[in-house]
Amino acid sequence: MIGRRWYVPWLFLAPALLVTALMTWGPLANTGVLAFTDAQALGGGQFTGLDNFVRLADDTDFFRALGNTALYLVVVVPALVLLPLLLAQLVHAKLPGIGAFRAVFYTPVIASMVVVGLIWSWLLSSDGLVNAVLVKLRVVAEPLPFLTDATLLLFSCMLVTVWKGLGYYMVIYLAALSNVPGELHEAARVDGAGAVRRFRSVTVPTVRPTMLLVGTLAAISATKVFAEIYVMSSGTAGPGGQAKSIVYYIREVGLGVDGEIGYASAMSLTLFVGTLGLSVLALVLRRRSERNTA
Amino acid sequence: MRRTRAFAAAAVAAALFLSGCGLSSGDDAGSAGSDDKISGEVKGEITFATLALKPTFDDYINGLIADFQKQHPGTTVTWIDLPFQGAQEKITNDAQAGTLPDVVNLNPNFAQKLEKQGVFVDMETNAGDAKSTFVPGAWDAFKVPGQPGSYGLPWYLTSEVTMYNKDLFAQAGMADAAPPKTVDELLTQAEKLSAAGKGRFYGWHPALENSFVPNLAKLGVPLLNDDATAWTFNTPEAVQYVTRVRDLYAKKAIAPDWLTQDHAKETEAYSAGRVALFPSGPNFLKVVGQNAPAVAKATGVAPQIASADGTTNMSVMGLLVPRKSKNPATALEFAKFVSNAQNQLAFAKIVTILPSTADSLKDPYFTQVDPADPTSPARKISAEQIAKAENLTPVQWDDRTKAVVIGKMQLAVKGDLDPKAALDQAVAEANKLLAR
Repeated sequence: MIGRRWYVPWLFLAPALLVTALMTWGPLANTGVLAFTDAQALGGGQFTGLDNFVRLADDTDFFRALGNTALYLVVVVPALVLLPLLLAQLVHAKLPGIGAFRAVFYTPVIASMVVVGLIWSWLLSSDGLVNAVLVKLRVVAEPLPFLTDATLLLFSCMLVTVWKGLGYYMVIYLAALSNVPGELHEAARVDGAGAVRRFRSVTVPTVRPTMLLVGTLAAISATKVFAEIYVMSSGTAGPGGQAKSIVYYIREVGLGVDGEIGYASAMSLTLFVGTLGLSVLALVLRRRSERNTA
Repeated sequence: MRRTRAFAAAAVAAALFLSGCGLSSGDDAGSAGSDDKISGEVKGEITFATLALKPTFDDYINGLIADFQKQHPGTTVTWIDLPFQGAQEKITNDAQAGTLPDVVNLNPNFAQKLEKQGVFVDMETNAGDAKSTFVPGAWDAFKVPGQPGSYGLPWYLTSEVTMYNKDLFAQAGMADAAPPKTVDELLTQAEKLSAAGKGRFYGWHPALENSFVPNLAKLGVPLLNDDATAWTFNTPEAVQYVTRVRDLYAKKAIAPDWLTQDHAKETEAYSAGRVALFPSGPNFLKVVGQNAPAVAKATGVAPQIASADGTTNMSVMGLLVPRKSKNPATALEFAKFVSNAQNQLAFAKIVTILPSTADSLKDPYFTQVDPADPTSPARKISAEQIAKAENLTPVQWDDRTKAVVIGKMQLAVKGDLDPKAALDQAVAEANKLLAR
């Protein structure tokens, strides 16, 4: 009898809802409110209307950080959609020693970003291995400033993001590839399609919803990029902080005893709305893609 | 439907309640340098927070606590140690929540932001009797310019010496050269050494975030105006200094990656034998000795590069008591106990730091060289110069200001921004932060 009462399911859900409210919705709502105040790390918190957003419109550092983040998205997302798919295709094949190959590509996924960042900053430093090889092979006359030129630093960080993400997205694609019906490939082969053609005409259409999922996940993590830039630039975001991402800038403004919590919240809210917009767009595209493949 | 609406309304109310939490501050802002006189019996429980002293100094700190508890029956001191990483966030959160430990170990630059909110008790009022026991420059480090009072008891100090790699000097044909005594000599020698090193080694690691402000101060550049309301370091002398560093960078007398590196990387570079001059605390000689004994063996030690009037720089750590402490009398007594001459001397004998108490510095440990201890010459030099040392980095030089100013200097040194424009922009942006 008790099982028919309307509130019984809510009782089961209550602990999880409470934790989610405290840990996720609460801080989110708090950020939403703080974005309209002048809150500081210590004290403050008067309602200031849209002042923070007006200031944001004039903040050149914010727009530079936004531009860097956009560049990150443009480069990293396509790379993380395509490269892991190609890799998964290779790994999917039943080749000898493939287990070791999979392990090699998955190792960076489980390594800490700080460790990965440090290793790459050693490799890419002016006297690091990469520059030593490039100079030795006479590809360049003198070491490239991978870590002290804002643009090169950003691209170096992108390389690290892609390198670290390859294995993770490869595993997602592997799951999707195992669902591609073997008879489709067989039929295509009978029709005379080569490997590339089968990949384009059979594999890609079948895994397109997964590609959209990977694209969405990669885009969300690209908008949140911080650790790579922080570690590779020794906490400076390059000379003059010119390689700051949006999250890096939010942290810089909001952190510490002199942190401007209100202004940082306004930036966070702007980023949240932007990311939400991207996610909704991806969702619409994904649904459309699913309808087309159904 | 009604129930759904009721649930949604409850959720919104809960969210608003939660969000409201972020708007309040646990600590009421009070006036800095308050003349509230602390009184009361020395007993009960207090907490003592230090920065990165565990586990190396467990025996010393636990011994201090045991001695204090023995001298003051009925007191209990609970020690907590915060790692440097994240300490600022933790202290800020505690200050916000009104739950700061009863005695806190902080440096002046971090503490002054809290003090501007009136968080700490005034030591001029409450520990004035101990004032004369401290090195004057150390006591003054805990004053906020333009505000009365002083908000911390100086604890331990470090005072840079100039370490140099004699092997690299010899390789550069400068075996007979005296180590630099002025900023100008530092840069001149750096250029010669780097030219001889041809990329194998360099003269000087700029570690801008540590060296920029003290070097300007030593060059006589006024960093702040008299009432500390505006930064003023965009002077012709500062432009000349930045231009000189930019020229060194352009001549490849500074390794390109070093432009954005800090003191930790400078220590690594010196330990690796890649840099010949290493102005740093004598405690780092021990670090070099552990990681690179050969480099430590080749290291000569000279006095700190000083300003024209002989003023040198020192870094200060202090002990502060929050006004919100539930047991301020015990907290104050404990802070005085930890920082007294006897206890500071004992601490200085187990770690390469200097005591802030003038009497401790007269101990033979600081006035004589022990042939068996390779760090003792550095310690002697460091202790001798402390009488004319000051904290040359203004307390207003906080992390945000540092990030903005050093960012502009990096662009100037790299050649992306004219030195004068970089200094003007840095001052303008730093003043915006100061005005907040």
